[in-house]
Amino acid sequence: MSILDDAKEKWTGTINEVTIGATKQDGGTRTSVVTVGGAGALPFMNFEGPTPRAPVVAMEIWDREPDDWAQPLVDAFGPVLKSPADWARKCVEEFGAEMLCLKLAGTHPDFGDATPAQAAEVVKSVLKAVGVPLIIWGCDHDEKDNEVLPRCSQAAAGERCLLGAVKEDNYKTLVASCLADGHTILGLSPIDINIAKQINILVSEMGLPLNRIVMYPTTGALGYGIEYAHSIQERGRLAALSGDKIMSLPVLCMVGSEAWRTKEAKASQQENPAWGDEKTRGIYWEIGTASTFLQAGSDILVMRHPAAVAAIRKTISELMVK
Amino acid sequence: MKTHSITFLPDNITIQAAAGKSVLDAAVAAGLAVNSVCGGDGVCGKCRVIVKSGKVTAKPNMFLDRREIQRGMALACQTFIDGDVTIDVPFESRVGGVPQLATEDAIRYGSISDWVGEGALFPHNPLFQKIYLDLPKPTISDCICDQERLYREIRRSRDIPIMQTGLAVLQRLPDILRQCDWKVTALLGCRGGTVEVVDVEAGDTSASNLGVALDLGTTTVVAHLVDLTTSKTLATKAKYNSQITFGDDVISRIMYGATPERRTQLRDVVVNDINDLIAGLVVDAKVKLNDVCMVACAGNTTMIHLLCALNPANIRKDPYIPAVCCPPVIRAAEVGIKINSRGLLATLPSVASYVGGDVVADVLVSGMMRSPDLSLLIDLGTNGELVLGNSDWLVCCSASAGPSFEGGGITCGMRATNGAIEHIQLGRNGDIVQCNVVGGSKPLGLCGSGLIDAVGELLKAGCIDRRGRFDPAACGGRLREGDSGGQEFLLFPSALTALGRDLVLTEADINNLIHSKGSIYMAMECLLDHVGMSFDDLQHVYIAGGFGNYLKIDQGIRIGLLPDLDPAKFKYIGNGSVQGAKMALLSQEALKNVQDQIAGAMTYLELSTNHKYMNEYSSCLFLPHTNIEKFPSLMPAPQKQTDAAVAR
Amino acid sequence: MALKALDIFKLLPKTNCKKCGCPTCLAFAMKLAQKQTSLDQCPDVSEASKVELAGAAAPPIRLVTIGAGPGKLEIGNETVLFRHEESFYHAPGIGVMVSDALDGTALKARIEAIRKLKFVRVGLSMQANVVAVVNASGQAAPFAKAVQAAGTLDLPMVLMSSQAAHLNTVLAMCADKKPLIHAATDATADAFIALAKTHNCPLAVTAPNLDKLVPLVEKARAAGIQDIVLDVACPRVPDTLQALTAIRRLALKKNMRVLGYPCLVTNSTVDPLVNVAECGMFVAKYAGIVLAELDQPEQLLPLLTISQNLYTDPRKPIQVEAKLNAIGAVTPDSPLMITTNFSLTYYTVAGEVEASRVPAYIGVLDTEGTSVLTAFASDKLTSEKIAAFLNSDEVKSKVSHRKVIIPGYIAVMSGSLKEDSGWTVLVGPREASGISKFLKTTWTNT
Repeated sequence: MSILDDAKEKWTGTINEVTIGATKQDGGTRTSVVTVGGAGALPFMNFEGPTPRAPVVAMEIWDREPDDWAQPLVDAFGPVLKSPADWARKCVEEFGAEMLCLKLAGTHPDFGDATPAQAAEVVKSVLKAVGVPLIIWGCDHDEKDNEVLPRCSQAAAGERCLLGAVKEDNYKTLVASCLADGHTILGLSPIDINIAKQINILVSEMGLPLNRIVMYPTTGALGYGIEYAHSIQERGRLAALSGDKIMSLPVLCMVGSEAWRTKEAKASQQENPAWGDEKTRGIYWEIGTASTFLQAGSDILVMRHPAAVAAIRKTISELMVK
Repeated sequence: MKTHSITFLPDNITIQAAAGKSVLDAAVAAGLAVNSVCGGDGVCGKCRVIVKSGKVTAKPNMFLDRREIQRGMALACQTFIDGDVTIDVPFESRVGGVPQLATEDAIRYGSISDWVGEGALFPHNPLFQKIYLDLPKPTISDCICDQERLYREIRRSRDIPIMQTGLAVLQRLPDILRQCDWKVTALLGCRGGTVEVVDVEAGDTSASNLGVALDLGTTTVVAHLVDLTTSKTLATKAKYNSQITFGDDVISRIMYGATPERRTQLRDVVVNDINDLIAGLVVDAKVKLNDVCMVACAGNTTMIHLLCALNPANIRKDPYIPAVCCPPVIRAAEVGIKINSRGLLATLPSVASYVGGDVVADVLVSGMMRSPDLSLLIDLGTNGELVLGNSDWLVCCSASAGPSFEGGGITCGMRATNGAIEHIQLGRNGDIVQCNVVGGSKPLGLCGSGLIDAVGELLKAGCIDRRGRFDPAACGGRLREGDSGGQEFLLFPSALTALGRDLVLTEADINNLIHSKGSIYMAMECLLDHVGMSFDDLQHVYIAGGFGNYLKIDQGIRIGLLPDLDPAKFKYIGNGSVQGAKMALLSQEALKNVQDQIAGAMTYLELSTNHKYMNEYSSCLFLPHTNIEKFPSLMPAPQKQTDAAVAR
Repeated sequence: MALKALDIFKLLPKTNCKKCGCPTCLAFAMKLAQKQTSLDQCPDVSEASKVELAGAAAPPIRLVTIGAGPGKLEIGNETVLFRHEESFYHAPGIGVMVSDALDGTALKARIEAIRKLKFVRVGLSMQANVVAVVNASGQAAPFAKAVQAAGTLDLPMVLMSSQAAHLNTVLAMCADKKPLIHAATDATADAFIALAKTHNCPLAVTAPNLDKLVPLVEKARAAGIQDIVLDVACPRVPDTLQALTAIRRLALKKNMRVLGYPCLVTNSTVDPLVNVAECGMFVAKYAGIVLAELDQPEQLLPLLTISQNLYTDPRKPIQVEAKLNAIGAVTPDSPLMITTNFSLTYYTVAGEVEASRVPAYIGVLDTEGTSVLTAFASDKLTSEKIAAFLNSDEVKSKVSHRKVIIPGYIAVMSGSLKEDSGWTVLVGPREASGISKFLKTTWTNT
């Protein structure tokens, strides 16, 4: 017996496998699906347990042109930022994205106030433009999301999308839509492992099985609270592997949106010459954020910059080599 | 300064008050005890009065609905007099009535012979003793002074190394000795390490040696009159602490007591209650007040500070430092307590800002520090204190549970007095199967135990989910939208209630209870974690505090207030505070034990900075808990759906 | 294995004499268990207890010091697998490998690039805190030259060579700076152990897997070497990560003394983006020293930040600086909001203000890292404190109006704050999520 064998931990639990996307066979129109979860060991520790599914990177696109994105991001995409469908296509065809996260930022009452009908049209256009599975994320305004997301859920019925996000005191509407239209749901908790568990209990008590729920314990960017999010995710993962079925769910993190908000990603070289090249700094910041969360067990990472996406995907594939 | 007359009904008391004074302040000045949880800030809604006539200015508030305002109802603390007025103070707004449960409780635990006396744990050696002395007359050969003669004779029957005598006694001594033919009774009071000759009485009064054991609670004050010679309890009485008008909880009272004048006011108010009780006891037992020479008092740290008019401000500020933990024995008259004018007041020591002599007394009475078994003591009341340990060690902490156990912050909440629902049983759809009301009349509101029962029953019947939110489908017709927008459950319609107002339980009420019980349970977990033990290691769980007596174990477990242990492990010890005070009264050894082996040995754990408490508190906000595995007896049969989903 | 408080208590006199400064012996035992005091505070503890407690206190992972003086690097002495169990204590050395095969100009440029790897963010400074010199040339002279050049950086050093002789020459010059000798292999063990002994420097040992590493470490230990660093030089990144985890687990949980040492990792992945991702993971998972050829500030900044973030004690609330912060393009008319210096609170509020697009000032008050409600309840956030801040020069010089927005949870303070400060008090939302709406509607209409 090698020394490595001696270091094995005996885990009693396994993370649920969750599939996002439905092909024609399953009643959808996706040309590929994504399955995450399934781990029976700590991240990438395949010497002590099964790690069948690689973490997945989803690229973030918006339903409207972002007006405050850092220049390197804008440069990476160019004019497609004006059209969600074109943007989606570029992500998949040029950058090889295996999943997309469509953020309905334009539906926020203060930033466009797009109607539910308009949002549903964008969803349909993106579904038509690409064949990869889709995450549909609201605008984080509870009342508006409760109007918009059910319409989008309907528009995407049968495609087995991941809908986001529900909170402890605002989940009934969206869970009902998920049940009706066959989607998976994202549960949002504010860096609190107990509330995360409570949401899982409440949602599953409504009839949505545990293997159609993904957890979003809230992401803090590198340098701006990442350690809280990292520790919460590690604690959750340990609970799951120790047999807590209600915590045995895959985890998502919003790497791109958090990392690119930071000064380190946005500041010009003039403001902070010691911090290095402004064109690549943000990319490295996004990578640093992502790699920390990979070690905490994140299963889905929503990222923005194509170069960061490529680097993380390469890293993941290396780590998954048996 | 313009003044107006203000008449209070139905008391028919009229006083003059300055224009612009609040009705609450005027009521206090008139000697009326009006309810106030928040101490006059306008945020609790409990000081409702009816303006019968006269001009007032009332600040708008969110507690009164239109019907009530039309009736002339107002909040006393937010209503200011503009002219001569007549105010009716309805009985639900009064700090009145007798705390029903505490009184019964006072009768039930009157006997003390198990603890003090021949063959018992502590010898009978009261804090105050009267010795009859037949002194040898002085002669030329035996010419020691009067004081020495007295001391010499005392020391013939008692081994007392240090004695002291006050000037007032010395001034009377020569005369009384010669008037009584050298036959006198020496009154000896224990003052920490010394004994004071408190007084010298003519003849033999040694048979009339009385003391009072006092439980000075935040909400209720309980007094037992004890014959220190026979150890018998002669009478018991209880009443609500009138300081409630200045705030329901210790924090609001500490904040009120910001100036020396206010501290004097707070002290006088509670001393008034104490004197009322003692006067009542003396009448009931048909004894003389002058024969009551000793008061032993157990109360939480803040109550003791307020009794002695000590500045309590630093109790509530980091790092939470009391002025004193082990107060000296003082003359009872120094704080205004009316017993023998030279009588003494002893207090049981506290451990920290939020663990006081009342909890220390509970520990004494439980006997947990005399056994190697691991025990947990829970004192549930206005505050919640916990003590964990055994004969080797003791740790304690205080959980800020909030007022819901005393009915505070609950829409139809009230203290445990006449009209309080103390037990309720619900059937399907929330129909009421059984209901016990204190005093047997129509229900007025829910007291702490009734609230816990109600929530436990609603959970059992499926009317509320694990977060405490109502499920419309399961509530039948009893669920409706309340005035303030949330959901409420109708327990009793107005026709069946004492006030003619619907008796409801709202989601906000349930939420408050969940937060309260969560605080207590989380505190238990932290205490156990701190010493590396678990609930399974516990052999005994002692429940103390007047409220605790009426707490149903199964309901307590059902809502996650108590740990899921074999019910046989739980034991009620009733009002440990007054019993412990009584033990101290009757045995100096008991008091010493409390000071050295209990208070001196208890290690206090500060929860407000406790990492685990802050991280995991939210897990306790489910009924019974987010991690249902902690409550195996309450775990539902595995959901077929979930299993199937995982299997897929 | 660390003793629990109750186990320690059993070894104490149990007299509650208070001479140690704690109210009871149990309180003292609890502090000892948390390493917040030392046994010598108790004048009455028995000799037998002293011995037992000392034995239990020996760290499962050795603390190894590299370098000397104020800039020295201390690694190891970790007690947990996950920071949330307690804390990580000794942040890793993160630095650049300098090859001695670089010519004069290139070498100089490299050294200068490393010199620039010093950063300040959120008021804290950090830098590449270790430098490695690699004897890629295989010759003595270039190695010595490169070591000398690296020496001007005044950083703890790692001397990497397969030739004991070359190391010996170089060590003669700089042993007093306690560089790490890298690294003894199966073949070179005796020579390298001798080096470590002669020059009294810490020794790294390397093998391609754990099974081969252990006998090597045992050899060094048997020879009396105490300061050892482990380098499991696996060909692939996943194997390295697994080795790091295995070593930490075996040292802590199975008390395997032979693996109770800090670890070193070198990364030569060519793609710099992937390299940074991999190094980030090494920092997160137990590496004591991480070395790569990355020398650009934008590459090191995230790595150093990962280290800084994960090595904060989770039990202590993180505080941000108490000062007036400007979010967006503020003018003297911009709104002024008050909040506490608990980092999570501040970041949440700042994030919401940013998202609202309304430029605003956020006044951060020192509440010792507590959130709004906690600070208010324990009297750390008082109207006097806020008033003093409002009337300070810092605020007066930037804000022209006298309207302040306070968090909704402390609405009760508005009266006394108005009295104490003379400012108009607006009560803001209770939850941060309401900030955007508040700034756009209520503030704008004030």
